[in-house]
Amino acid sequence: MANDKSSLQLITRGILSENPIFKLALSMCPAVGISTTVMNGFMLGVAVLFVQVFSSVTISIFKNVIHPRIRIPTYTLTIATWVTVIDLVLAAYLPEAYAKMGIFVKLIVAFAIITMRLEMFACKEPVKDSFWDGMGMGLGFMVGMMAIGFVRELLGSGAILGYDVLGFKPLLFFILPSAGFFVVGLMMAFFNWIEVYYKRSKGLK
Amino acid sequence: MKNIITIVVRLTLSCLLAASVMGICFIFTSNAKKHNEHVQEQRVIYELLGYKGGAKIPDSMALHEVYRYVITGGDKQSIGYLVPQGHGKDKGFLFVNIDLTGGFLASKNVALSESEALDPKIRDKAFEQAAGPGHTVKFADQTIVVTDSGARIAYLLGGKFQGFKTFINVMLAVDPGFAILGLEVLEHEEDPGLGAEIDQDYFKNQFKGKPFEALKAIDVVKAPIPSDYLQALNGKVSEEDIMKFREQYKGKDVYALTGATISSKAVTEGVKGIVTKFGYRLNVLDKILKEQQLAVSF
Repeated sequence: MANDKSSLQLITRGILSENPIFKLALSMCPAVGISTTVMNGFMLGVAVLFVQVFSSVTISIFKNVIHPRIRIPTYTLTIATWVTVIDLVLAAYLPEAYAKMGIFVKLIVAFAIITMRLEMFACKEPVKDSFWDGMGMGLGFMVGMMAIGFVRELLGSGAILGYDVLGFKPLLFFILPSAGFFVVGLMMAFFNWIEVYYKRSKGLK
Repeated sequence: MKNIITIVVRLTLSCLLAASVMGICFIFTSNAKKHNEHVQEQRVIYELLGYKGGAKIPDSMALHEVYRYVITGGDKQSIGYLVPQGHGKDKGFLFVNIDLTGGFLASKNVALSESEALDPKIRDKAFEQAAGPGHTVKFADQTIVVTDSGARIAYLLGGKFQGFKTFINVMLAVDPGFAILGLEVLEHEEDPGLGAEIDQDYFKNQFKGKPFEALKAIDVVKAPIPSDYLQALNGKVSEEDIMKFREQYKGKDVYALTGATISSKAVTEGVKGIVTKFGYRLNVLDKILKEQQLAVSF
């Protein structure tokens, strides 16, 4: 089954029309738990991007030899392998980055978004498209995490990227995990509203 | 039946493939990783002692590594120490065996150089020989005694304890009276944004200056840190004021991190356990060294 989308379309699709967090509503646990600051969102986003791209490409290469009955264990195995490899390589050759990224990389093994993209896309499509789809989804996840992190960091600790911008802390509640649900829900509604508004103004249904 | 065999064979092959990829990667990276960990450990040691960012370390300062083992022979257990006898090539280590009630059992010289002792394999072997046949030995922990011109100025204690998810690996510096000089989190896998805040200064610095007596009964409180204390913990006020706050809060409990009480409690309990156990053990070891008139390097 070939798809008719260009690489650019595949990327923008991941960021906008099929954003993993706001549209597909996948991997909500990290979105709620970790997105307390913009930096945390960015770090997790980078980690997911790499694992997603590597896993998508791997599955796409081996798609013809994977037995359909055991595809889910194979996906998990692929993701776990890449997470381990990235973790080891970072620890060995980029200790500075590892000190910051280490804890994020290890979280990824059980992320729904990666398994879901392997199942929906990479196991059917050619390698090149899978690569761009992985890029799109990874970037979409990163943008979503950073957007949530922006709102929560600003409202929770009055800062952006660790710099104090408001001078006071509006509501400590926003740093707590439960606030993540509210922020994600409200932002989801907000983006859907923009989309509906945009489509109406263009005369689409 | 045929399906099952295909599934088993394919799944086994995939697992083997994945395992070999991870294994090869491990072989290629393990040396560099170990090296990085060693470098980080050295940096942390000097930072805890107050030599930040390449400050010059005085020549009069010396580090002495003490290794502790648990010896099991038959149904009896005892504690064995490897204590350095001095710096230099032919000085070697002293093997000291102490029973569980703190009584002296045996001591003997072990020909082991300091650089050899750093390699766990060589050290374990030398220790096994010293303990004698019929005993199994298990490495427990290592402590670094820091001396300045012969007088003890600090102890560096490593430790591992259960955190919220997996183990938290820390290093502590305590002064000769077992008051905490500093805490560094070496490795952890707590949740980012919540438990991972344990490696932030405002949490770690709460332990600084806590005396041994206060540590024995320390607990966590679930309350926000007062804002003036928080400023001091983050090092945003003058050195004098920091000392004033340290004095004011030295007998108080540790403020738990928002949304991460379990991680905060784990670290507090872990630190408490490491320091109180070490205090007890060192007193026993010191008493024995004195009673038996054993010469060691510190």
